[in-house]
Amino acid sequence: MSDFDSIRSLVGRSCLALNDGDFDGYLDLCAPEFAYRIVVWSPELGKDMVWLDHDRDGLSGLFETLPEHLQRSGRLSRHVSVYTVEEQADAGSYSVVSSVVVHHTDLDGRTQTLAVGRYLDTVVCVDGDYRLSAREVALETRDLGIGLHVPL
Amino acid sequence: MASRDKSAWDEPPDMPVGHFVSGDVYTDPDIYKDESEKIFAKAWRFACHDSELSEAFDYRVFEQDGQSLFAIRGEDGVVRSFLNVCSHRGAKLLDQPAGNAKLITCFYHRWTYDSHGHCAGIPRASGYSGGAVSKETMGLREVRTEVLHGLVFVTLDDSVPGLTPFVGKALDRFAEMLTGQPLEVFHYNRVVLDCNWKAWHETNMDLYHEFMHVVLRKTQVNAMPMKDRKLVVFENGHGGSGGALKAAYDGYKGFAGRGNDVPPLPGMGPTDFRFINLFPSTAIISRGTVVRIDTATPMGPDKTLLEMRGLGVKGEPEEHRCVRQRHHNQYWGPFGRNVPEDTIAAEACADSFRSHAGRYQIIGRDEGMTGQDDAVLRAFYKEWALKTGRDAGHPVSS
Repeated sequence: MSDFDSIRSLVGRSCLALNDGDFDGYLDLCAPEFAYRIVVWSPELGKDMVWLDHDRDGLSGLFETLPEHLQRSGRLSRHVSVYTVEEQADAGSYSVVSSVVVHHTDLDGRTQTLAVGRYLDTVVCVDGDYRLSAREVALETRDLGIGLHVPL
Repeated sequence: MASRDKSAWDEPPDMPVGHFVSGDVYTDPDIYKDESEKIFAKAWRFACHDSELSEAFDYRVFEQDGQSLFAIRGEDGVVRSFLNVCSHRGAKLLDQPAGNAKLITCFYHRWTYDSHGHCAGIPRASGYSGGAVSKETMGLREVRTEVLHGLVFVTLDDSVPGLTPFVGKALDRFAEMLTGQPLEVFHYNRVVLDCNWKAWHETNMDLYHEFMHVVLRKTQVNAMPMKDRKLVVFENGHGGSGGALKAAYDGYKGFAGRGNDVPPLPGMGPTDFRFINLFPSTAIISRGTVVRIDTATPMGPDKTLLEMRGLGVKGEPEEHRCVRQRHHNQYWGPFGRNVPEDTIAAEACADSFRSHAGRYQIIGRDEGMTGQDDAVLRAFYKEWALKTGRDAGHPVSS
């Protein structure tokens, strides 16, 4: 499998894990130094806003407390297309840009687009093993309705 | 206990007036029309924060009673507001939510206006005869604007009393926090909710629903004796916390140490929690290190534009801002632990009242203005009744 295919598979598996609520599986795809952020440009303020910002432990804690929270019912589906994969100067590190569209399907089976944006990922390869080192979700969508407790 | 048949279910609760609210207040189109005419067309309402207009000619577009308006800071430092409408053909003037414009030019026929609302230019003005149309007569419609503690308020009514008598003492406990250091907005989110505006606003007035939020069950409900939690109501329907409520952040995973990593806002302790609701639909909530300001704007009986702002200290070091941002996002914002739960609650109630399956909301908790008393909700509905001329428990005459 080429680097590109391996990385595309990693990004895809990260979506599948979140879609399925397999949070341990998601964290398994992340390197120890993993950093996750959701960033949104505000035309009202003329600057970026950070809507979620966690390291790997923070995300782990968030996942752990999810069952206790009142959450949006239904299911999220993340659809991703990898645009570009560029190897960085430090060998074994890749900058990956993907588009992401998130749909929400409610308990009656109605599906609506919830959000669109990009994944700006940093992927590292250690001993042939690809892991997410950082993910920034650059959202275009700012009205997320009732909001949500899980990462996109 | 027994379940109830239809007759018993439809019967108003056997409670004093003001202790329950009919579901009709959330759905009835005539009531909505009354609210628009008698409340939102007249009330002083929060428009934006001073920091959103920090430079001369900065403007900010906002909505009030279904109309688009903008606030703009003049070269004299004064903030003025206007309907966002060209005097010529009625085109909307500003389509960006914020910006900076020394002159505002209508895209349609290039009429221009300055930050005082004066008409500054009419192309080929000589084509208008009789004098009715000239730069002198074609200024913008100005909307009364006042700034208090950095909060910009407007009213569409030219004759109601000023902002100070309207707010009264409701913001006194927030003055130090809002003005002790310059604040600025770092978070802004607007969403359209499928519920009546009051259904959202109730989530900011109702302490009893702390039990819905696991975060509050673990950090707030037992952080201090209920009898020591003071609530207060003011004239004109405002109400909130009397003193600071406390939070014990170590009770929730990931929140430990919150408040010790960045200076709290002036007048606030790191674990303090204060809130004030200004009638009709603005809430100011502070959790020690950050402030949130909500504005609910009706878009129909069943649609609400909710704007939420998060504020920190202007010019603070980046590391402080990051911490404050994290504190904000722990509870609030679209990925906060609490806000999505509040919106679920507001829409769940709306669902029931929309179908008339739900008949009444009970707001009868009386704990002597402590604990989880419903006094703030009752003060709101008392003012609502005064303004609309309807009893919230029986708002539609049979």
